[in-house]
Amino acid sequence: MIEVRGLAKQFVQGSGRSRRVLAAVQSVGFVAADACITGLLGPNGAGKTTTLRMVAGLLVPDAGTIEVAGIDVATRPQQAQARLGVLSDARGLYPRLTARENIVYYGRLHGLDEGTAQARAAQLAGMLDMAALLDRRTEGFSQGERMKTALARALVHDPSHIILDEPTNGLDVLATRGLREALRHLRDEQRKCIVFSTHIMQEVERLCDQVVVVAGGRTVAEGSVPELLARTGQTDFEACFVQLAFGEAAARAGGGAA
Amino acid sequence: MAKQPNGASAGGRAALAAAWQVFRKELRDALRDRRTLLMVVLSSVALGPVLLVALSVLVADLEARAEAREVFVAGIEHAPTLRNFIERQAWTIQPPPPDYESALARRSFGHPVLMVPEGFERDLADGLAPKLLLVTASANSRAEAAAGAVTRLMQGFAQEQASLRLVMRGVPPNLLQVVQVNEQDLANPQARAGQFTRLLPFFVLMAVLYGALHAALDTTAGERERGSLEPLLMAPLPRGAIVVGKWGAVAVMGMLVAVVSCFSFLPGQWLLRSETLAAMFQFGLREALLFLALLLPLAALLAALLMAVAIRCRSFKEAQANTTAVLLAVSLMPMFTAFNQGGEQPWHLWLPALAQITLMQRVLEGEAFGAADLLLPMAVAAALSALCLAYVARQLRAAALR
Repeated sequence: MIEVRGLAKQFVQGSGRSRRVLAAVQSVGFVAADACITGLLGPNGAGKTTTLRMVAGLLVPDAGTIEVAGIDVATRPQQAQARLGVLSDARGLYPRLTARENIVYYGRLHGLDEGTAQARAAQLAGMLDMAALLDRRTEGFSQGERMKTALARALVHDPSHIILDEPTNGLDVLATRGLREALRHLRDEQRKCIVFSTHIMQEVERLCDQVVVVAGGRTVAEGSVPELLARTGQTDFEACFVQLAFGEAAARAGGGAA
Repeated sequence: MAKQPNGASAGGRAALAAAWQVFRKELRDALRDRRTLLMVVLSSVALGPVLLVALSVLVADLEARAEAREVFVAGIEHAPTLRNFIERQAWTIQPPPPDYESALARRSFGHPVLMVPEGFERDLADGLAPKLLLVTASANSRAEAAAGAVTRLMQGFAQEQASLRLVMRGVPPNLLQVVQVNEQDLANPQARAGQFTRLLPFFVLMAVLYGALHAALDTTAGERERGSLEPLLMAPLPRGAIVVGKWGAVAVMGMLVAVVSCFSFLPGQWLLRSETLAAMFQFGLREALLFLALLLPLAALLAALLMAVAIRCRSFKEAQANTTAVLLAVSLMPMFTAFNQGGEQPWHLWLPALAQITLMQRVLEGEAFGAADLLLPMAVAAALSALCLAYVARQLRAAALR
């Protein structure tokens, strides 16, 4: 379970006269349960990536608390990180290493021994349907192949909690389907707690048990897709999201234009 | 599941194990970059032999000139007495090539030409001080060097003639020689060779710098540019462990080049054409090991310094531009020794790179130096490396996110 309460983070850009304070996250809170896929839905610049980076222990929040499996990220970041598998926005692989070496390297960094890391790489390759890629250097991989390798790398230590930041970015239909299947498998068979951020409604509708709508650095709504539809009185989830994120006026304007 | 450190020592062990994993991976990564590696290693392997051959050609040329004792004279038929003197001094007289004036100016002819006027012998007999003309070109350094020797030869001739005249008039010749000047050269043969080999430490140093450069940029700015730094920091590791692992790999690359280039001087010696230089340039196993003792700590420092500069850069390209400052600073160091007027200063040993160059020159010149001289640059390198690494560790998280 991941519990986030009252999270806030601001960035200071420039200095002196050109100094600007950017409040990326002002008040974000949600609870992501085990064996459940929680979608962090919000427009670009809503603060999703910043929130997930704070959960992953990369950024220190200005205010608020984050607990991963009951571990406070602020005070015990390394223990929390050990339970997290993060597919971040940056999915850089080492081009001169093979996919297998990329995955095993992270396994070793997470403290697995060589044999276990190798076994996990093979197992994940089976699950993600990428066994044929394993012994190729990642130089020249397609977006889908990169995503699979990066996901396998994030999962190599068999984390109980999985965070994915816009995982379907740049993927084609087949790769997106493959990813969706993999996430369902992780939820149903392995009872993982999965949080992923996206700005794509269809992803959320198809996959998420729980939706957290984030806009302007705040959590504006939380619930399952049917619950949110009922709350806004909409039948279309896109209209529902626009109303929640930008207010009723925006929802009407958008609907009228369409 | 990940290892859960439950004590300070277990945490330390885990950090060490992680640093080792990072080190292994970075080294493997760097060694797979075959094209860069090939360039760096080839140039450092070739460094020793090429430099030595170039030096030996230069020295052999100087030696040949010194041994040849040739003087190019136009109109020697007008001066039998002078010819007699020159030949008694065991010099040979050559006629100048017809186009010697333009050849001297073009620097394709490296000898001054002595012009003897027609009435030389008659004027000499009459005591009329005949005029000799020595044609040279001050932009032609080979001719200039030889002109000194010819001038001295002519002075010898003048002095002999003067002495003869005094003796004939019954005056002892040493009446005119008020002071006698003798020269004593304090430089031993190795110190003289040092003049020629002064460039070697500089080239070795630059090879080490270039050896570490690519790996240093790849593990910092390159990692940022690829977007692999952020995932790396998601691993439950102390940042220090990551930095130390990376630094170890970069330093090893620099050290590899140091070892290769130092040992390339050993077989390079067989190629020496000049007997004198071969005798003077004594670079054996002891010298190679001393060089390495100096270069290895410096390679570690340069690795840390390059990483500290590059970690602030968003891309490989930007990092290359920024590290130019480091390359420039290191390559300007030898200027201190080239232009120094007051000789070697104590503070030279406190400045990294300059200290190593100074001490490597001492090794080449065969001067003794104690363990203290070796320890000071080592301690400075260790302290500065630690500073740079602490800085990289501090910058690492900010670098991953920006």
